[in-house]
Amino acid sequence: MQSTRQGTGRWTALTGIISVVMLLIATYMAFVYAPTDAAQGNAQRIFYVHVPMAWLAYLAYVVLFIGSVGYLWKRNQTFDRLARSAAELGFLFTTLVLITGAIWGRPIWGTWWQWEARLTTTLILWFIYLGYFMVRSYAGEPERAARFAAVLAIIGAIDIPIIHMSVRWWRTLHPEPIVINTGGPNLPDSMLLTLLVSFIGFTIFYAHLMLQKMQVEMARDRLAEREADFLMRPVGRSKNETTYPTTGREVTGASED
Amino acid sequence: MGRALAIAWKDILIEFRSRQFLGAMLAFTLVTVVTLNFAFDLDRGDRTSDAAGALWIAFFFAGMLGLGRAIALERDRGTLEGLLLTPVDGGTIFMGKFLATLLSLLFVEAVTLPVFAVLYGLPAWHPWVIALAIVGTVGFAGLGTLFSAIASSGRTREVLLPLLLFPLLVPVLLGAVQATAIVFQGERDGILAWFNLLVAFDVIFVTLAYLGFSFVIEE
Amino acid sequence: MDDNLGYLFAAFAVTWLMIAGYLYYLNGQVKTLREDIEDFEEQAAEGR
Repeated sequence: MQSTRQGTGRWTALTGIISVVMLLIATYMAFVYAPTDAAQGNAQRIFYVHVPMAWLAYLAYVVLFIGSVGYLWKRNQTFDRLARSAAELGFLFTTLVLITGAIWGRPIWGTWWQWEARLTTTLILWFIYLGYFMVRSYAGEPERAARFAAVLAIIGAIDIPIIHMSVRWWRTLHPEPIVINTGGPNLPDSMLLTLLVSFIGFTIFYAHLMLQKMQVEMARDRLAEREADFLMRPVGRSKNETTYPTTGREVTGASED
Repeated sequence: MGRALAIAWKDILIEFRSRQFLGAMLAFTLVTVVTLNFAFDLDRGDRTSDAAGALWIAFFFAGMLGLGRAIALERDRGTLEGLLLTPVDGGTIFMGKFLATLLSLLFVEAVTLPVFAVLYGLPAWHPWVIALAIVGTVGFAGLGTLFSAIASSGRTREVLLPLLLFPLLVPVLLGAVQATAIVFQGERDGILAWFNLLVAFDVIFVTLAYLGFSFVIEE
Repeated sequence: MDDNLGYLFAAFAVTWLMIAGYLYYLNGQVKTLREDIEDFEEQAAEGR
């Protein structure tokens, strides 16, 4: 037990240091090393944060999905902690994709927002994350909140591709907005390298945040468990005496790692 | 299946016996349709796609009212616990609730469509529109039944339900409005494609909701 | 084209400020949790 906790701590520190170094390099590369795009000018450099944010927004949802399926299947608290942590970070990154995208869109498209398939789907994703937190906070007891939220997350995971497809179909039936080609596979090597460093740096940073958040959630669950055990201990002599001598396990029934 | 029908029948009986709620839902739908006219000037010939949107917004809002009620009633009266004690599995309860919601919504829509046709001079009583109304409502009622169960335990179920449901129902709303607009424009191209798509959404959403419902109501 | 520099700085600034805000919030969670644990430990010591 003690050794695993030390192991987690080491990983947290390691991912923290690596990601900070890589992100500093990535920022330098984005501002100085990468050449200015001929068509978009400096605004193109926004992509070095925007694209990793988009990747993390969806990666976090994949983790949320895995945690949710795992929880409904195994009823293991660890899976629920994974889902909770991923949802919070996913929401942060989704907010950031939308904002950085709008800031890029303003000078390039001449408008903050386009009702285009990827943008619309990401906006819906944002609302699904929001709904996820609402369910968690209003569902009452923690076990029920975890169950309800997991069902929502799984339905959302299956719905997101459907939303993307339906919006794309809807938009292609309408006159397509003129969008400047944003690069594609034939980016100059220096741009690609910058994007890659930023990509990997942010991904490790995400791993770092996940480790931290998971540890916080684990400590919180442990505390709740101990409090429940304490309140429901066999002979109640405290002021909040309860009449349930041995049902303490029920509250914390989910298995621990 | 028989048990699901029994649950649906029980809910529908309650609705029709009290009659107030179904009537209120219908009145609400009609008022929405009329109000949206003032917002969009739907009577003008070139507003067919707005009219299709207005129609479906009215249906979705009415559906939201109906859903909020379906399980809230059971929770308030404490009859859901009774239902859970009976040897009926979650899927069957879902089918019963789903059918009851679907039928009461279709009833409201069946009255709204001819009124809409008369008010706006649009072919809202066209077989295609009826078919689309049915297909769109099945998807709505499917996901809606699941999420009304999820939202019903919360203190803020009235807000929570649309917040959860509307984003996930975007494909259904999109398909239904697009296809209905095509009919209103007096055309045929593309309706079948949207219709098939809506049928596919229905299959996916109802299956998901059916499977998810058991996880939601286990206590 | 050079005017876009403002948009570029805005995008990076928003990103890092929001991430910093999140880290601050996470830190706050750790702090309150630590206090809660201490409180509980005291209570438990008294109760027993």
